[in-house]
Amino acid sequence: MTPTVSASGLSLHFGGTRALDEVSLRLSTGVTGLLGPNGAGKTTLLRVLATAVPADRGVFTVLGHDPGTSRGRQEVRRRLGYLPQAPGFHPDFTAFEFVDYVAILKELTDRTARHREVRRVLDEVGLTGVRGKRLRKLSGGMRQRTALAAALVGDPAFLVLDEPTVGLDPEQRMRFRELIAHAGEGRTVLLSTHQTEDVAMLCNRVVVMAAGTVHFDGTPAELTAQAGGRVWSSAERDPGAKAGWRTGLGTFRNVGDPPDGADLLEPTLEDGYLLTLDGIGGVGGLGRGGGFGAEAAA
Amino acid sequence: MTYDSTDGANGGPGGTGGGSRWHVPAEDLRAYARGELAAPMLWSADTHLTACAHCRGVLAEAADPVALDAGWERLDAELDAPRPGFLESLLLRLGVADHTVRLLAATPVLRRSWLVAVVAVLLLTVVAGRSGATTGSPTLFLALAPLLPLLGVALSYGPALDPTYEMAVVAPMPGFRLLMIRTVAVLGAVLGLNGLATLALPWYGAAALAWLLPALALSATGLALAARLGPVLAPSLVGGGWITLLLVARTGREAVTDPLAPFTAAGQGVSALVAVLAAGLLFLLRDRFDLNRARGAGGGSGGGGTA
Repeated sequence: MTPTVSASGLSLHFGGTRALDEVSLRLSTGVTGLLGPNGAGKTTLLRVLATAVPADRGVFTVLGHDPGTSRGRQEVRRRLGYLPQAPGFHPDFTAFEFVDYVAILKELTDRTARHREVRRVLDEVGLTGVRGKRLRKLSGGMRQRTALAAALVGDPAFLVLDEPTVGLDPEQRMRFRELIAHAGEGRTVLLSTHQTEDVAMLCNRVVVMAAGTVHFDGTPAELTAQAGGRVWSSAERDPGAKAGWRTGLGTFRNVGDPPDGADLLEPTLEDGYLLTLDGIGGVGGLGRGGGFGAEAAA
Repeated sequence: MTYDSTDGANGGPGGTGGGSRWHVPAEDLRAYARGELAAPMLWSADTHLTACAHCRGVLAEAADPVALDAGWERLDAELDAPRPGFLESLLLRLGVADHTVRLLAATPVLRRSWLVAVVAVLLLTVVAGRSGATTGSPTLFLALAPLLPLLGVALSYGPALDPTYEMAVVAPMPGFRLLMIRTVAVLGAVLGLNGLATLALPWYGAAALAWLLPALALSATGLALAARLGPVLAPSLVGGGWITLLLVARTGREAVTDPLAPFTAAGQGVSALVAVLAAGLLFLLRDRFDLNRARGAGGGSGGGGTA
């Protein structure tokens, strides 16, 4: 099967900062989670794949087209849905007007067909009832769903979502996960997130980035397995653990290299993620005896 | 339209009719279902049906289900459709396409720049009038007027100023087209206002129009350079260059009553040439507007670095 995205050796520098360094990636249908600490290059990778910025080096195709050419870029954009990290809104727009505006940018020029499509996507994200409300009067979660609706206009084959659940309360986050899961049926979705729960609940594949490079590419189960036999419980904090903390049960959960005879625990995706980042220069990860590195936990 | 509270065919007033005492006559409902009810009765029926379950029930019995669905869709579409403002309505009447009008009128950044330009021009008119009254020259007006369209264009498009820029830049509509649509709108408004201000200075004759070619030259140059330098630095440099040029010309003129070099016939010719060359350069660089200028700014307005 032809992959939706095929990238090889993508590199991008901003001044002296190496944002992407030889990133290679293949994406196919399904939801792929992109995990990584702040500054890992997640947003930059998403923006490159969404054709917002060009890479300095490397080759890639999206939906079989080369975004390096003007024609190829246009073809990709016709089948792309993009929810940026901080989607901007015109606060005086209603939800309908905002999505309608994006639909026009997506070349839906026939008024009747365009309005039908706007109603369809607003219904898909559950905003039919507030479609006439000004965006400034909607909650953060509703505004985020409006932006998702805008990304879904035109039924894109490739959906790029940059931290869509950030800032949402647990109920809104769960609602958003349902929407993403629904949107991922039959599409390729690339989801950048800090939330390992998002990946565990939504994704059939996960990519971990740090310092501009890919450090893990596999299934969530495989990432979780990275921590297999490396999480254990103890009555006191184990000084040999790379990180440990008291749980609600009163015992300590330790992560690292367990002593012989340790009471091993079932690892989580987050354990696997943090152990994957451990030891990567300049990232943070797990500091011995110091608990989770601030950046890795962010 | 007549509503009959005692119309037996409508099942009588009140009842289960959604709380409405009045109902649309059955004949009108049948015409509505056939799509043959004319305005303004059509509008009244539309409004009434949204609130009256009883009439909706009667309509459902009278209507072909396919036609009824189409009617509801049309009603939905009309209720959802953004209401055009005065300017939008005017443009639609002038034959401008609906989607182009939406792009023009539904852009707060453009509105803001519009307001800034309006206020500035009004102030300029007052200042220029006073200046002319004491020095006998419209120099201040001629110096400032070309900067207004440059400012307006700079405020209408770009990652730092347009909240939806990141979404627009990855949309299939070419960024250059969006830029041109907004530029035409801003230039139309500001040049028009400048023209009105010129009319308020009749005693200077055609000399008071000497801002026009420099205005076009500055705007075109600002846009062309924005393709490489971005929408903030480019107009800033162009505006700074214009002011510097005027100061140099002021120093070099022989008599205080002489016009500054850019406002002489030769200067106007140079402005026209610059405008044409810059427009050509802008066209050649048009593809550059399809990519985000703020590569490292996390999308411009959002600003997130390389998260």
